[in-house]
Amino acid sequence: MKRSLFLVSTLLFLCASYAQAQFEIGVSGGYNKNYLHTSTGYRAYTKYDALSGFTVSIPLQYHFNNWLAVEADPGYIQKNYEQERDHFFAGIYQKNTNSYIQLPVMAHFSFGGDKLKGFMNLGGYGAYWASGRIKGAMANVFDEGPDIPDNQQTYDYFQYAKAYNYNEKYSFDSRRDSRIEFGLLAGAGVEYLLHQRYRIFVEGRYYYGLTDQQKNYMINQIPRYNDTYVIQAGCLFNLKNIFHPELVTAE
Amino acid sequence: MRHLNKYIILSLVFLTGVACRKEMPEINDPRNTISANFSEVFDSYWNGMNNNYVFWDIDTVNWDNVYKQYKPLFAKLNLNDSNDVRKGYTYFKQMTAGLVDSHYDLSFNDTWLADSFSINPAYQRKLASPDYHDPISIFHFYDTIPRKYLDRGGAIRGFTNTVDGKDQYVAVSGTIQQNILYFFFSGFALKQLYKTDTANGVKRVEQYFFDKLQNTANIKGIIIDVRGNGGGSLEDLNFLLGRMIDKQLDFGYTRSKQGNGRLDYSPWAPAFVTPQTGARNITAPIVMLADAWSVSMAEMTTMAVKSLPNGHFVGERTWGANGPLTGNLFFNGGQFSTDYINLVYTSSLMLKYRDGKIYEGIGFSPDVEVKYDKAALDLGQDKQLETAIGLIH
Repeated sequence: MKRSLFLVSTLLFLCASYAQAQFEIGVSGGYNKNYLHTSTGYRAYTKYDALSGFTVSIPLQYHFNNWLAVEADPGYIQKNYEQERDHFFAGIYQKNTNSYIQLPVMAHFSFGGDKLKGFMNLGGYGAYWASGRIKGAMANVFDEGPDIPDNQQTYDYFQYAKAYNYNEKYSFDSRRDSRIEFGLLAGAGVEYLLHQRYRIFVEGRYYYGLTDQQKNYMINQIPRYNDTYVIQAGCLFNLKNIFHPELVTAE
Repeated sequence: MRHLNKYIILSLVFLTGVACRKEMPEINDPRNTISANFSEVFDSYWNGMNNNYVFWDIDTVNWDNVYKQYKPLFAKLNLNDSNDVRKGYTYFKQMTAGLVDSHYDLSFNDTWLADSFSINPAYQRKLASPDYHDPISIFHFYDTIPRKYLDRGGAIRGFTNTVDGKDQYVAVSGTIQQNILYFFFSGFALKQLYKTDTANGVKRVEQYFFDKLQNTANIKGIIIDVRGNGGGSLEDLNFLLGRMIDKQLDFGYTRSKQGNGRLDYSPWAPAFVTPQTGARNITAPIVMLADAWSVSMAEMTTMAVKSLPNGHFVGERTWGANGPLTGNLFFNGGQFSTDYINLVYTSSLMLKYRDGKIYEGIGFSPDVEVKYDKAALDLGQDKQLETAIGLIH
């Protein structure tokens, strides 16, 4: 029994040491722009626009060799968009701020020199639509504007029904909203080894949603997909060099 | 570059996944459709409803099942066969029978249906109801009430026909026991008729009521009678009730469609009455008289009055059509037409009362229920009005 325990402990220690040698952890954050891939159908004066947001995450990399690693990047990301009306209906809009908890998993391919390297990421992600917020203005038929003289032109709908401005939490509808999202991702960037213990990177990444934001609840449903472009920067720490700094100089 | 082939393979795998999205369905504007055959007629109507009907959130009709059941049936019909056109009319009636929208009315362009009534599911339900009764005769309001209940010399009545001859508006006002104000009107076109340059019968009655409202020293109560009132213009809410309050009166919320999905809605916007310039804050009881034939604006006005601390509602459960209507363009939903259908008359907005309940298809209940009594009315006795008077005393 004691012998088995010793063997297991030794194996675990060796694995941990090996893992530390290959394992990096870091922080990352950036700006994104999300495009809702959908259609307004035949709705007049109505369109969807992209909105910006931000992302923060904790990248974890495990290196198999000097050109291939696997990376997981759990974090928070916003996937925002806006529905807007124009011309006579200008001023009617709704900005959707959607918060996702996301887990991208990808293959990380590196190339280049020892200090400055280029890299490419390819993989997929799963995300949970955690919460949302809607901010906008709509016409309120119960809030009529002042009487308009017969000989006067009008220029927007709010002259007839004043704007109702709102900024509230988004209420999920379990019949419609699909809160789990899966998709693909692709990214490219450069990383620079500042120190044996850490390196910094800048990356452009694209998240391509494969699952509709809505459940399949009606015939002739118009799907909604998130397309998210991210520019982010971060820092990765080599665990081995943090926990065993003496090894840095020995190498 | 040693690993270039690996990168290429992985990129191809990635691009294969990109093709996994659903295709966008082609959604056509129902107005721009062709009624060359019954399949096209069905598709344009079904899709128009799918995208524009505002009550899918609360409606119990399974619209997908309607598609599955009726699409093959319509496909068998011939648009150029009058018997099939009649059958199609029956199908439309069956498909819409359970729709909760009590404004809903379906009228057709087909000349073979020119002699058919428009399809009105709420009316059909009323007819089938054991409580069904005809509306109270307009002559009861125009003749009996002034003669029997209003003070002698303290009553005025009038009517106006619209220029196109389609509508007639009737109004009666007067005092009961000197200091109870009574106001009946058959439809909500009060502001429109009041603002006209020319004199008309309703305008004279309105002026009388407004003057009494402003000048009667000690108003004991006000009775607003909307029995048999089919509704009308939303602007009358402020125009009428806005004269009796001194601060905003919140009574509910409305929301509209905000996308093509059945459950795509805007947030709830408050529904309220705004006090008008020179309004007199009425603290005496205001009693709404409404019945099963009080529809739409008549119901909303009743709801607003019921939200007042001095508001009461005497009569019967109302019709149950509470959603305001406007053109489809304004809220991206509601009424629409197709090449075959003259008009799908349906609400643009869903109304929720301040208690959080939606009374569409149900009707708004009185706090003092007095049922329609034909025998009493035939004898000139108005038990609902008498109860309202008793409530004020």
